[in-house]
Formats: sequence, structure tokens, C-alpha cells
Amino acid sequence: MFVGVAYAAEEGGSSISVVPVLADIWPSILAFLLLFFLLRKFAFGPISSTLDKRAATIKESLEKAEQTKVEAERMLEEYKQQMAEARGEAGKVIEQGRKVAESMKAEIVAQANKDAEAIVAKAHEAMEAEKKAAIGELQASVADLSVAVAGKLIGEKLSTADHASLIEKYVAEVGSLNDN
Amino acid sequence: MDGFAEKLASKLHHYSVLPFSDVNGTVDAVDPFVLTNYTFFLIIAFVITLAFFLVAARRVSIVPQGIGQVAEAGYEFIRNLCVDNMGKDGAKYAPFIGTLFFFILFNNVIGLVPGALPGTGSIGVTATWALMVFIVYNAIGFKKNGVIGYLKSFVPSGVREMGPGGRFTLGPFIFVLELVGHFLRPLTLAVRLYANMFAGGIILGIFGIFMILGAQQLGALGITMTGFGFMMLVIMYGFKVFVAFIQAYVFAILTSVYIGGALHASEH
Repeated sequence: MFVGVAYAAEEGGSSISVVPVLADIWPSILAFLLLFFLLRKFAFGPISSTLDKRAATIKESLEKAEQTKVEAERMLEEYKQQMAEARGEAGKVIEQGRKVAESMKAEIVAQANKDAEAIVAKAHEAMEAEKKAAIGELQASVADLSVAVAGKLIGEKLSTADHASLIEKYVAEVGSLNDN
Repeated sequence: MDGFAEKLASKLHHYSVLPFSDVNGTVDAVDPFVLTNYTFFLIIAFVITLAFFLVAARRVSIVPQGIGQVAEAGYEFIRNLCVDNMGKDGAKYAPFIGTLFFFILFNNVIGLVPGALPGTGSIGVTATWALMVFIVYNAIGFKKNGVIGYLKSFVPSGVREMGPGGRFTLGPFIFVLELVGHFLRPLTLAVRLYANMFAGGIILGIFGIFMILGAQQLGALGITMTGFGFMMLVIMYGFKVFVAFIQAYVFAILTSVYIGGALHASEH
């Protein structure tokens, strides 16, 4: 720089002054102060408050998120518990239902068995009765036939009393035969 | 190397403080109320800085967006710098440090435009701001600690607690030393910024001249000179960009350190 000054001086040009020039001093202080007040009021102030607001908002959001998370976890736990309870309840209901169904099944089967037995017994009885009736009929017709045959053979008619005693005797014989 | 001296002289002339209306003239004494070439670009920097922040501040919202983000990031950077160097109350001084930083930065950046000058390339500008910083931080020191308290802080507590022998011999000596140190602060602030910005232009000018002179030469020498000049021009331009930011930062951080020291003077 000093070389420059020397050169400039030698060449007869303007010298580079390291002494402040008043024409640069007052505009720089004026410009600075004006800029300072304008920026503080219209730029730095709003920016600063926005930064603070943002920090507060973020902090609040984080806190809220944390709260929500805790709440969500609590609710999840609650739901899990409720679910487990419901599951237990459902299991019980199903178990009970099964028991009821099983007992009903047993009952129905027993009833069916009983009914079947009753039907079979009734059928038996009916058969027995019919058999008896058939046997009775047979006995009557055998008696009649026997009387007729006997009448023909003997050729004479017996009295009614004789008939009866004779038939009874005969039937008894036939019955004893049948019982065997 | 004919013409080097003349070209350098003309370059130096270009970087002199001159009336803006007559930058080619040979004016030795600049009238106090004339618009100088440096003041002209200072005003341009003023307008750009103001416009940038006024526009950006409108875009500043809770949800970061666009240019607002840039202004925000810049301001937050300065605010953190203040808090780091001054403690919790530092944010209060962020508008002052911010104005210094951004105004200097915009001035320096304008100086990167070919043909333009950085407002901070004039000692008149930097010395004014440095003196202002000196007044501001000392005023804060006196206000915070009281006149006696602040002056007492110039002598370290270790010396103040010595016996009378040490206190009255070493004490005044250190006090004077500190006082000189304080008065050197605005001087170094002013010269550091000015010299960096001024020299940046001169260095670019020199390599520019080198290139032009090389182009006028014939043969390998000319090509070598031009190539070397161009290479250095590119490197130095990159360096100048770096310096533009660094010097704004240095001015801002030193100011915040000085204010921080004044705020906490009684603690030392």
C-alpha cells in the first residue's frame, strides 16, 4: 500500500489516504443508525418474536404429542384389558352354551330312547293282543269245528251244558298244548 | 513490463476515495458533503440490506418458508452469537450486532461485483463504525458496572487482591496497559475490515493487470502470464468471497465479545 502511495505520488495522481474522509464518515453513521432503527422495528423484531413463537409452538406441540401418546398408551392398555375380559367372557358363554347343548342332547337322546322303547313296547303289546285275539278266535273256531265234527261223528246233539263242559275241557287241552 | 506502474497507479486511483461524480479526476481533498464513490456503494448496500430484510420479514411465519427462512437463519445465527458471547441478556443486543453484520456483509458482497466498490473499503466508513462500537460497549460497561466499577475491572481481581506493594505498583501499570488495549480495539476493528476489503480489490487489480500485460506479450511468456494471471484472479476472487463473509463475521463477533466483556466486567 505504501508502495502504491509512493507510486501514485510519483505519477502525480491522487494519493491513497489512510486518513478518514469526512464525506465518508457522516453518511456511514447516518446510514447505520437509520438501518439499525428500521431493521429493529420492521425486521429483527418480527423475526425474533416469530422465532420465539415458533419455539413455543414446537415445545407445546411436543408436549401435546407426549400427552397424546401417554393417553393413547393408557387407552390401548385399557382396551387390551377390556378385550381380554371380553374374550374370557365369550369363552365362558361358549362353554356354558356347550354344556347346555350337551345336556340338551343327552336329554333329547334319552327322550328319544324312551319314546322308541315305548313305541316298541306298544307294538309288542298290540302284537300280543292280536296274537291273543287270533288265538281266541282260533280256539273258538276250533271249538266250533270240533263240535261240528263231533256232532257229525256222534250223530247226536249234546245238550248245551254238555257242550260247554266238553269244549272247555278240550280247549284247556289245546291251551296247554299252545303254552308249550 | 511496460505500463505496469501506470496501470497500478490507475487501479489505486480507482480505489481512492473520490467524488462519485468525478472518479477520474485528481481530487486530493474531498469536500465533506460530496457523494464519494465509496459512499455511493454504501448507500446501495443500505438499500439492498433494508429491502432484503423488509421483504424477508413479511415472509417470516411460524412455518418456515422461502426467503424468510434465510433472514431467520441469519438472524438466529447472530442471536446465538450474542447469547454465546454475552450470556442470557445477549439477545437484547442482537439487533445492533445484526445490523453491523448484515450491513458489513452486504457492503462486502457488493464489492465482489466487478466495477463496484465495497463501502467497507473506505477507512472513513470502518473507522466510524469501529468508534461507534467503542462508544457503545464502553457506555454499556459504565452503565452496568458504574464508572468506578467499570474502571476497576481494568485491573484483574488477582492484582486487586494483592498486598499494597503489588496493588500500587502493578495495578496502575496494568490499568494503563488495559486502557491502551481498549483504545486499540476500535483501531484494529477499523483497519482490519478496511484493509481486507481494500486489499482484496487491489490484489484482483494486480492480477487483472498481469493478465492484460500478458495478453500484450507475444509467445510463451505472454500465454504463461495471462494463464497465471487468470488462475490467480479466479483463486483470489474465491478468496475475496470468503473474506467478505469472514470479515463481517469477525467484526460482529469482536463487537459482541467487547459488549460481553463490558456486561460482565465486574465478574473479572
